[in-house]
Amino acid sequence: MKAKLIASTLVAGMFCTSLSAAELTVLTAGDQNMVDYVNEYLGPLFEKENPGTKVRVVGTGPGDAGSQKILERFEAQSKAGVEKWDADVAVVHEKFVGPMVEHKFLEAYRGKIPTGSLVTRENAKMALGANVDGYVMPMFNSQTALAYNPALVPNPPKSYDELVEFAKKNPKQFGYNGIKGGASGVSFVMGWLYAYGGGDAQKLMKGPFDPSEAKNWDKAFASLKEFTRNATLTPGNAGTLDMLSRGEIAIGPVWVDMFYSWKANGQLPPEMKLVLPAPGMPGQPMHYVVPAKSENKELAEKFVALATSPKVQAEGIVKRFNWYPGIDAQHVQESLDKETWQKLFTDISPEDLAKYGKPFPIAPYNNAILEAYERQVGN
Amino acid sequence: MSAKLETEVSHGWGGEGSPQTDAAAASLAMQADPQKAGAGRFVMSVQLLGFLLVAPALAIVVLLFIVPLISSITGAFEVDGAFSFGNFAKAFELYSSDMLFTLTIVLLSSGLICLFSIMIGGYLTLGSNPRAVALLRWIYRWPLFIPFIVVGQILRTFLAKSGLMNNIFIELGVLTPMSAMSFLDWRGIVIAFVWKQTPFVALLLSGAMASIDRSTIEAAQNLGANRLRILIEIVLPQVRTTLLVGLILSFVTMMSVLSVPLMINAQSPTMITANMAFRINAYRDYGVANALGLISLLMTSAVAWIYLRQTMREHSR
Repeated sequence: MKAKLIASTLVAGMFCTSLSAAELTVLTAGDQNMVDYVNEYLGPLFEKENPGTKVRVVGTGPGDAGSQKILERFEAQSKAGVEKWDADVAVVHEKFVGPMVEHKFLEAYRGKIPTGSLVTRENAKMALGANVDGYVMPMFNSQTALAYNPALVPNPPKSYDELVEFAKKNPKQFGYNGIKGGASGVSFVMGWLYAYGGGDAQKLMKGPFDPSEAKNWDKAFASLKEFTRNATLTPGNAGTLDMLSRGEIAIGPVWVDMFYSWKANGQLPPEMKLVLPAPGMPGQPMHYVVPAKSENKELAEKFVALATSPKVQAEGIVKRFNWYPGIDAQHVQESLDKETWQKLFTDISPEDLAKYGKPFPIAPYNNAILEAYERQVGN
Repeated sequence: MSAKLETEVSHGWGGEGSPQTDAAAASLAMQADPQKAGAGRFVMSVQLLGFLLVAPALAIVVLLFIVPLISSITGAFEVDGAFSFGNFAKAFELYSSDMLFTLTIVLLSSGLICLFSIMIGGYLTLGSNPRAVALLRWIYRWPLFIPFIVVGQILRTFLAKSGLMNNIFIELGVLTPMSAMSFLDWRGIVIAFVWKQTPFVALLLSGAMASIDRSTIEAAQNLGANRLRILIEIVLPQVRTTLLVGLILSFVTMMSVLSVPLMINAQSPTMITANMAFRINAYRDYGVANALGLISLLMTSAVAWIYLRQTMREHSR
């Protein structure tokens, strides 16, 4: 009933959108910087290369909530039997690609575009345990790490164990945003489970899902609760960076791209540094997908091909927005001067990134861990 | 009168020679000779027309309010397509402390709003310095025009450990940097709620206080009562219902605010609204979110019931 209602509302909404053939609608989840990226950089570039087309971008909001909205939009239009959907390209979080492929909302387009062969990374084939090979092109890869203030933490903890020691000696100096205020806190919790989960962390990342695994986590959550008592809870991803820049905390988990952008804007003091602790913290890609019922499929494929071309990945993704590239690094490196490339790896070396940059757990474990956190740490 | 209205409406809707026009002509004829035509039929058609007139509005209410409400209530009792209390069991298991937290925060805020709005309304009514009264009247309404999300944003930087408020105190020498603490927890939420909702209740209350019979106040003054006593014993009893309505409306508003707990306190415990958003965004779990929604609906209904009982009693007197 509810879905029907949402569907009918959306259908009504569709009549109001213009149906010009050369208009490409891009839905994007994520913070404002995602909308800015298309509006300020990618859109104008595409319009220049394809005269007569117009790129229209709709931001659906930060975090998983934004991707959730896109998924629900596809779901509603699919259930309502709409022939032509109101989106041509969508940018979504990794977690939501699996369900979209499973419900056949997406077009398998990677083989059709010239840049498709530039991606060999595992996370372009499997998204949190779901096979999405062919349906996605990664826009960029993002990574979480611990940001710290070297004035207060001269010897940053290199592992979760060292961090626990640090928090004991320096109560309230470590800050994270729990699991309800953004994914950097979620990522810290997942890393905690990789370190202390008792079982094999690879199983959490690759599956198969086994509900009885949750029994092994009790000890990890008990110690996390103890640890959280010595920690400061911050309001959101940005909240951690805010408190860090005001000197209220000395160290905390952040998204690497946000960290560099804030530093570049002067919102964060230039002395701040990053460290990626052992045994690792998760990161995730954002994916370009093309809905199966897109009205301008060819144009959409052209758009993604441009967006994942080495030139755009170098200029837009790495240089302007400080993300790690979506396509394989060697293709991007060629189009960038050495200095810009090195900037990405100032604090975290490519070796550390390869060793300690982990994927998030597969979707069912992801949910099970979050709920166990709510039950055992939060409540 | 009503027949005239009906003809106008009918002409407006139906074209020339349409059944409606004929019907209108017939009903005019009936009015001309009511004894001959069936008066009952005429009343029927007026009723039907009345219904048609409200139908669009009614349809909107039903479609956009009643149907979603019912579907979210039934959704709260549904697990994997079958009837179950599972969502409620989970809601209580995971969020019982948050429910208590929500209720405590909102009740505490309501109490403080009550106190401050009485103070503001009282001074506006009984204040003796016209300039101070004018200034207060001018200034107290400002927060009314600021959205909750902006309040959250302002207070997030204002109340932080090294935020504006503590910095001012430190500059003034009231605090030392070591003793400064962050108010970005439950206290931040209460401050945001009270700051935003007090003007609303004060506005209603000062209006009601202005309209009571001044002679009761003057009589008390003549008998030598001081202003505090007049406020408590003479003015307040006369505006009690307005105060209660204002507080109940504030209570319901505060129960539904998501932005403030998200901006100020992402910690645990947090408010039910934050949990509802989290259930949906992290798990796509509408069931437990609906159950939480129903629980907060029950909390607001309890308050509404107190209000209804109160007004019933007043009316029966």
